[in-house]
Amino acid sequence: MPQGRFGKPPLGVIYNTSMTRPDAALALAEIYGFEDKRDSRVGAVCVVGAGLKTAIFCDMVGRVYMPGPTRNGNQVLAVGLADVKPLPPDSPMVQPAVARKNDKGQSEYVHSIERVSDTSLAEAVLLNGVIWQADAAVILSAPATYLAKSLSLNNARKEYEEKCRRLIIVDAGVPQTDVPAIRKVIAEWPSPIFFCPKEVGDALLFPAADLEKAFEWEPNHPVVDAYNAAGKMPYNAPSYDLAAIHFAVHPDSGFILPSEPGTLTVSDDGKFSFKPGGGQVKSLKLDPAKKDALMLAIIEILATKPAVPQQRTRPTPGADGATKAPDPAAPDGKPPVIKKDQ
Amino acid sequence: MIVTRKALNRRTLLKGIGVALGLPFLDAMTPAFAASTPAEQPVRLAWFYLPNGIDMRNWTPAEEGPLGALPDILSPLNGLKDDITVISNLTANWGRPLLVGAGDHGRALAAYMTGVEVYRTAGADLKLTTSADQLAAAAIGHLTKLPSLEIGLEEARQAGNCDNGYSCAYCYNVSWKTPTQPLPPISDPRNLFERLFGDDIVEAPAAHAKRLAMRQSILDHALDSTHRLEATLGGTDRRKMDEYLTSVREIEQGVERAEKSGMVIDPGIEKPFGVPHEFPDYFRLMTDMMVVAFKADITRISTIMVGREGSTRPYPEIGIADGHHPLTHHMGNMQMLEKVHQINILHAKLFAEFLTKLKNTKEGDSNLLDQSLIVYGSGLSDGNVHAHDQLPTVLAGRGGKYISPGRHIIYQRETPVANLFASMIERVGVRPEHVGDSTGTLAGLSLS
Repeated sequence: MPQGRFGKPPLGVIYNTSMTRPDAALALAEIYGFEDKRDSRVGAVCVVGAGLKTAIFCDMVGRVYMPGPTRNGNQVLAVGLADVKPLPPDSPMVQPAVARKNDKGQSEYVHSIERVSDTSLAEAVLLNGVIWQADAAVILSAPATYLAKSLSLNNARKEYEEKCRRLIIVDAGVPQTDVPAIRKVIAEWPSPIFFCPKEVGDALLFPAADLEKAFEWEPNHPVVDAYNAAGKMPYNAPSYDLAAIHFAVHPDSGFILPSEPGTLTVSDDGKFSFKPGGGQVKSLKLDPAKKDALMLAIIEILATKPAVPQQRTRPTPGADGATKAPDPAAPDGKPPVIKKDQ
Repeated sequence: MIVTRKALNRRTLLKGIGVALGLPFLDAMTPAFAASTPAEQPVRLAWFYLPNGIDMRNWTPAEEGPLGALPDILSPLNGLKDDITVISNLTANWGRPLLVGAGDHGRALAAYMTGVEVYRTAGADLKLTTSADQLAAAAIGHLTKLPSLEIGLEEARQAGNCDNGYSCAYCYNVSWKTPTQPLPPISDPRNLFERLFGDDIVEAPAAHAKRLAMRQSILDHALDSTHRLEATLGGTDRRKMDEYLTSVREIEQGVERAEKSGMVIDPGIEKPFGVPHEFPDYFRLMTDMMVVAFKADITRISTIMVGREGSTRPYPEIGIADGHHPLTHHMGNMQMLEKVHQINILHAKLFAEFLTKLKNTKEGDSNLLDQSLIVYGSGLSDGNVHAHDQLPTVLAGRGGKYISPGRHIIYQRETPVANLFASMIERVGVRPEHVGDSTGTLAGLSLS
């Protein structure tokens, strides 16, 4: 594809998540943190295996980092949601942030998703998230149903082959619920696959003591609410998705090392098994000597206060005729004040 | 209904000297003694492409479900509320800038009905894919005189750079027969008329020259066979024939009137010879021919470009001297946006007139509108920012008891607009492996 005049953009991260664990909430913040540092950018976030409140939660997190009205669909893809009927239950972890109100009785966190039709079609957003990128990485930490579905779309294999530098399949100890789908992904994915085994996340614990420090730039943060709600504080959470995303963005950092190619299989009850040799999948291994340094690097990413985004498009009048372009930075340097519950 | 033992062939043509003319669906075409199981009437598919996006503030109904009072731009369709479906949140992903940058208008049109990446070139090395209408035409086009009909209300350019490195072919053609072959729309009313109603029998050069020289009404050539056929028809069919021939003659006369009227050339508009001076008259003339083409089953598939993508047409008929495209880049200027709003309303009024004509055209126990699926939409929503999602889309008709209109359906975002087109062509029995970037058909659209 021809390149635009602004040069090659950073790697796009496509995060397919069920958002049921605290490391997933932290990982979402990590993706936005990487975007702020221009290490990568958010390609798409797609919720599979959870309900509408989970999509709202993901939207809330995104709006913390990208304040301002959604400018248009060309810049920000709405959070994807696997729209199955009935929708699966939401994790208790996301509920406090979604339900949280300010002293005016309004939602504490800005969000643009109110109903399912405000979310994106799951299989389309996964593929479109890659199509938008020059280089992409896909992180699968959810049932593989929709990633497998996207493989069957027109030209999808070509797009994934040309643009997806790596697919990282995360094992957080939760069996895959759609075994045929994950087997299809492993068998047919046209670009390199990395397997992030449970041992990596188990060995890399996020310290509860550092939670407030990591997010002290924002006194009200939905990820902090989620972490607090996901377990009895203080607890140190395994970092399955955090580790996978760090490798996705910085595969050459040396913190996490890929094995020689091997074979990844999934049992009928959805459990992963990796064996060296005979396949093309590489398994990831955390360097024990560097795990503290890796966690420090992750906390540093989380602790980076996002810069105020610059307006990149023409302003568009809203329903009242008023122009709703993002406000310039306030004099105190804080992100622009956005009307809640728009 | 007059039921005869011998059914008239569905594709019967009136043939005279060098002339073949399609007929409307007549009772006589119903097989003998088949009154208890009437012949299934054909479903027609059409796409009206609107250029430069829409003033979306005044397009989208507030609520999902049964249609209430329509927003301002769609208000001309209030009387047809039970015949239309407003569909929200469809996306044309390949119209987006992605990594390529400018050229949104070229991509918006080219990707709209193809659903694939638009290869950027201003040369002859065009590359797309077969558009949805042509997928249908390839499968069912042999059933009618014309496989499909492409109409445009602006003269089409086929070469050169029209939008930031995108060929004019991308900006002027919505229908693509193959990945490299666009089907240029007919913008000249006379050409359209002759394509629909003119000679499809190879004529000797001398006879052809003689006919042109005499400038005799094309219909007159067919009168003898018309009279012979009329003698075999029942009263109802004779009335339909009379209405049909009258409407064809009116169109022919309209074409002649336009040519005789002096054709004032507005330097701000690209107008072919013979085009009515007023845009509404032009729209009506061309869509009237489309109605007859559907009525006579000359074709079952049509596209019409209300304007080419990036159109700079002014609308002096409603007091707008500015070009359409510049107005859509209003940058928040409410006066400019109001003019866009008025252009959008004008188009909707004309579309409502077209739908009303279809609805008033009986066919069997139904009407042409009920037998059709007609998209009225654009590959851009907010033209100011070149947004290619949340596209403005109205689907008119029932497709022959296929869908239940009168609703506002909101799909998930990123749902490809190609899903709608896949649903439409599936209705006429066409199920290709892929329709552009479709992920399937639109759930909840059909009654089945």
